[in-house]
Amino acid sequence: MTGQEKERKCAELVGKSKEVIRETFRKFNPLDTAITWTGGKDSTTNLWIIRQVCMEDNIDLPKVMTIDEGDAFPEITDFLIKMSKKWNIDLEWLCNFDVLRNAMSHLGNTVKVKDLNKRNQAELERIGSKEDSFTFEAESQQGNHLMKTVMFNQFVEDNSIKAMFMALRRDEQATRKHDEYFTKKEGGYLMPEHTRISTILHFTERDIWNTTKSYNIPYCSLYEIGYRSLGARTTSNPGEVGVPAWEQDIEHVPERAGRRQDKEKAMERMRQLGYM
Amino acid sequence: MRNVILLTIDALRKDVIGCYGNENELTPFIDSLQSQCIRFTKGQASGPYTQASFPGILTSSYYLEYGKPKGLSPHRTLVSEPLKQAGIITAAFHSNPYICDFLGWNRGWDFFYDSMEEEVSPRMPYMKGTVINAKVTEWLSSYGAAGDGNPFFLWLHYMDIHEPYVPERKYVDMVDSSIAISQDEMYSLFENTLLKRDVADPEKVTLLKKLYDMHVREVDTYVQDFFNTLERLGILKDSVVIMTSDHGDEFNEHGGLSHDDKMYSELIDMPLIIYGGDRSGICDTLVSNVDIPPTIVHLFGLDPVKKFEGHSLLPLDGYPEKGCFGEAIDQRGQRGGDIEKDSYFYREKDLKIICHAGVDRWELYDLNQDPDEVNNIINTSPAAEKLRSKLKPRMRRWLS
Repeated sequence: MTGQEKERKCAELVGKSKEVIRETFRKFNPLDTAITWTGGKDSTTNLWIIRQVCMEDNIDLPKVMTIDEGDAFPEITDFLIKMSKKWNIDLEWLCNFDVLRNAMSHLGNTVKVKDLNKRNQAELERIGSKEDSFTFEAESQQGNHLMKTVMFNQFVEDNSIKAMFMALRRDEQATRKHDEYFTKKEGGYLMPEHTRISTILHFTERDIWNTTKSYNIPYCSLYEIGYRSLGARTTSNPGEVGVPAWEQDIEHVPERAGRRQDKEKAMERMRQLGYM
Repeated sequence: MRNVILLTIDALRKDVIGCYGNENELTPFIDSLQSQCIRFTKGQASGPYTQASFPGILTSSYYLEYGKPKGLSPHRTLVSEPLKQAGIITAAFHSNPYICDFLGWNRGWDFFYDSMEEEVSPRMPYMKGTVINAKVTEWLSSYGAAGDGNPFFLWLHYMDIHEPYVPERKYVDMVDSSIAISQDEMYSLFENTLLKRDVADPEKVTLLKKLYDMHVREVDTYVQDFFNTLERLGILKDSVVIMTSDHGDEFNEHGGLSHDDKMYSELIDMPLIIYGGDRSGICDTLVSNVDIPPTIVHLFGLDPVKKFEGHSLLPLDGYPEKGCFGEAIDQRGQRGGDIEKDSYFYREKDLKIICHAGVDRWELYDLNQDPDEVNNIINTSPAAEKLRSKLKPRMRRWLS
């Protein structure tokens, strides 16, 4: 693709996202919407596009929230602070302090369920966790639920949010292949009803980098040293160390860098189950 | 319209379940449901291991239909596909690598969890029933219990009975607290005895079966937790639950361990229970797991799917008397299985004929006289020729 073709493609992709955003603002009062932002490349691109629409249409930027799961990269935190100042965003930092306090803010510490507050206890019961205690790890089942899902739901509930802008991409995993731009999440026990808006659903990982470069959208420095996907600090690994994300073989090597490919994973499981 | 839930349990033998006659109280919860169930006493799996059996359970087709299988053929129709097309919400939760996303089993599901992104350990190379239940509960709370009137089809599958048998202490105690071996010892039994199919020491075989039973007891608690969740969310009363297993497990009944390519009862006889239908009772008709997808489609009031080879189990009165087939290939000789070492069975009433096509070896058993399948009557039974002629057209169909 020539530089010009690339720019035209990026403009098309961004244009499609802008349509989704404008449709959201027709369906929902912008004051009842909010934006999730992790500081990663996808959610930063997402936020940038929404911010563009708000400036073009003279709408106040919806609330922006980020969830601190207790295991964040300092580079990500710095990036969020720096960009919030630059873009004049009153970022809402959410954290399940009850869990963090009981884990004494230290990964690997044991959290006793009986010491948690009622809501956290009820949430663990809801997901069927029966253990008396669990190890505090951001991406363990209990940790992930309490630190991320619960904080997300509480934010939606406390702010009476009707629509949440998310930064999911269809090409991220096979399960997202059929995702739609608007997904209504029905309410339920401890689950507030809301609609999820996947503004950049049609972007691929390559599209994100092309758009980022083409529009000079800022990004966290970790991508420069080889990270392709940023989750919790202890579970994210760089792809090719020292090679910027956009220069890596994005089309052939899976994005969740440091993780085995699906096939190898399946074979390994079969072997462990006693086959082959 | 009611929801339909398919609950499958990997490697669960029929004869360890209380309501099927086992007296060791390994499945008190499943047994307690019986007054509200139809229990099929002669359910047959269409294959003796996951890859061979799941085409029957989820696509109403046979394992070797298209030759040596590499992932799910696009020619097969997953039961989720016609349902999703009809606007029914479909969701799947399991942890078996043979039916994962990568192998194509994710078609037609609105939500598909196969756990392949998760890290597992050698002693438990799958996500536990508690995790499956938690995922299902989360999904049910958001989609299933939404109460917008749309019925859903949910499939969940527990792996916990599958080797390596390393049960937690609490399940050991529930079954036989005199067993004092450590988890290290359990795992070494798996590595040194089970993996080698070494049946020389009867004590070790007995111990392996004990450990297996402990996992059966464990899974009964997961079934109970799942039913409690359905009750709590108000879903149970509007749901039909079909419970079955993909295959059994061998403990030296025919000279082996685990589940290879044999066609005997310990691997092929499957429990099949339908909870919450309009009727309850016991059904002694011979039925196959290829009948499960047509039953699901029928329960949603949809037209039968032409490609499905089975027949709806409901209404019971309309079910035709027929024989059951199954097929498998040797999995241990070469990676992905050896299509030249293929075996088939056909059962009609109490007679089962088995053919090992590669070596043209035939067996015939009268399950009524010889439930252990040890007296091969292929050369003496007057029924042999008729059964042979029924099985022959099923063999190596991919060549024609």
